[in-house]
Amino acid sequence: MIEVEGLTKRFVDKDVVANVSFFVPEGEVLGFLGPNGAGKTTTMRMITGFLPPTSGSVKVAGLDVSRDSLAVRARIGYLPENVALYPEMRVEEYLRFRAAVEGVGRAEMRARVDEAAERCMIAEVRRQVIGTLSKGYRQRVGLAGALIHRPPVLILDEPTVGLDPRQIVKIRELIIELGREHTVILSTHILPEVEQVCRRVLIIDDGKLVADGTPEQLRGGFSGAAQLAVQLEAPEGEARAALEALSGSSGVKSEGNGHFRIAVEAGSDLRREVFKLAVAKGWMLLELAQTTPSLEDVFLRLTTHDAAAEAEAPVAEVANA
Amino acid sequence: MRKLFALVQRELLAYFSSPLAYVVLTAFLFINGYVFYLIVAFLNDPRTQAMAPLKLLFGGTIFFWLFLLFVVPVITMRLLAEERRTGTLEVLLTSPVSEGQVVAGKFIAAFVFYLFLWLPTWVYVWILAGHAKIDFGPVWAGYLGIALLGLLFLSVGTLTSALVRNQIIAAILAFAVLVVVFSIGLVENIATGAALKGALGYMNLWDHMDDFAKGIVDTRHIVYSLSLTGFFLFLATKALEASKGR
Repeated sequence: MIEVEGLTKRFVDKDVVANVSFFVPEGEVLGFLGPNGAGKTTTMRMITGFLPPTSGSVKVAGLDVSRDSLAVRARIGYLPENVALYPEMRVEEYLRFRAAVEGVGRAEMRARVDEAAERCMIAEVRRQVIGTLSKGYRQRVGLAGALIHRPPVLILDEPTVGLDPRQIVKIRELIIELGREHTVILSTHILPEVEQVCRRVLIIDDGKLVADGTPEQLRGGFSGAAQLAVQLEAPEGEARAALEALSGSSGVKSEGNGHFRIAVEAGSDLRREVFKLAVAKGWMLLELAQTTPSLEDVFLRLTTHDAAAEAEAPVAEVANA
Repeated sequence: MRKLFALVQRELLAYFSSPLAYVVLTAFLFINGYVFYLIVAFLNDPRTQAMAPLKLLFGGTIFFWLFLLFVVPVITMRLLAEERRTGTLEVLLTSPVSEGQVVAGKFIAAFVFYLFLWLPTWVYVWILAGHAKIDFGPVWAGYLGIALLGLLFLSVGTLTSALVRNQIIAAILAFAVLVVVFSIGLVENIATGAALKGALGYMNLWDHMDDFAKGIVDTRHIVYSLSLTGFFLFLATKALEASKGR
């Protein structure tokens, strides 16, 4: 549905977005993750055609954004970062205006406005002037405007920013629902949001794509997947050697007093083996806990620029694979 | 076409829901009323030779020009600058409307508002008609001149509003350009050399308005106004295209 190839945007002499390529199939909800200033908004603006790229290309539904600009714009519903609305208009007037501009016919106008207002839960403020609405309502009015023409592609730039927790939950539910009919690109720097909403995540940092995969893959690809915390009543040296010998274990750290920390290779689950080992040797198993790294760990690792993180850079390659 | 209509409608709504429209309208009526009073008082003086009062009202006095030079930038300043500042321009330019349509919608709305400003001046025509027989030819020609002048001036304002994000700067720029557009023809009066004098005379807006107010509809004046209007609107469209994402 969306093909981005070698997309680059240079401002003065800095590449704000550098050689970014990815593909979004139809019906996918893609999370676009990155710290502030990483190039998320710039990339989204280039996809919508608002910003011409320095080099590279964007295709939406097979149409080139710079060549068939109007055709692409008709297929995209876009909610920009700072949800800009006309404060003097009433909600209903605004939705009708957006619908007309997006090319919704007179006959369907009423139904589409009703539908958008219903879905975005703004039916109760339809007669109200936008300038008097709370931030949460304005956000939803903006969203209603973006999907009023039922675009195949929705591009939402930080749709939950500035909302209270209850509103955030509601908007997320709405986005999940929208993901059933639309291809959605969603930018955010809130990690739990991505975990809940997106089937796939791109992490962008300093203009470069540093990771691409499902949330599970990203967590898995990171530092060889999970870790096992084990406590055994057993002779230290013997237990350690036995644990290391298990296939799928990529290193064992002894923490004294029978505590071991086992690094588990991606895709393996050693819990059963550890249990069997303990039974076979007659050791008492006191603790067995698997910890998976959170997406937060992945994110911080990939987007932190100090020397220590740099040294562990291979992570990014794993995630990219 | 429906998209253009929606753009114009929204823009007019924006005009009439802001206090600016009413301030401009009131000031316009106040100053025009005062000028009308002055003209009538002046013509009532037995020492003055006979003249048509509406001819003086339509471009015959410096008040007319001063007011147009000030009021047009105020009408046009927010058109695109405001949308750029608040970010609504981003929404508009990622909708399936062309930059040309956006500029046209804004410009048409500004022109409708401008015509609305002049509507109450028909009261003067009505007052005069109660006291003397009015030749409606020059009156209509005068309004045509005002409309053409409006198109030209508003297109300049639309252009400067497309260039910047600050309304005040857009207004000041428009005022500066309008002063040049207006005064370039006046140089005719001090120019020497037939060719230069002729060229400048072609651009003399004061003379154009004078002709219209006399009832002379000269196609050269019409072509001059319309072609400059087209030129400035073209530049505004290009400015909007070039400024995307800024």
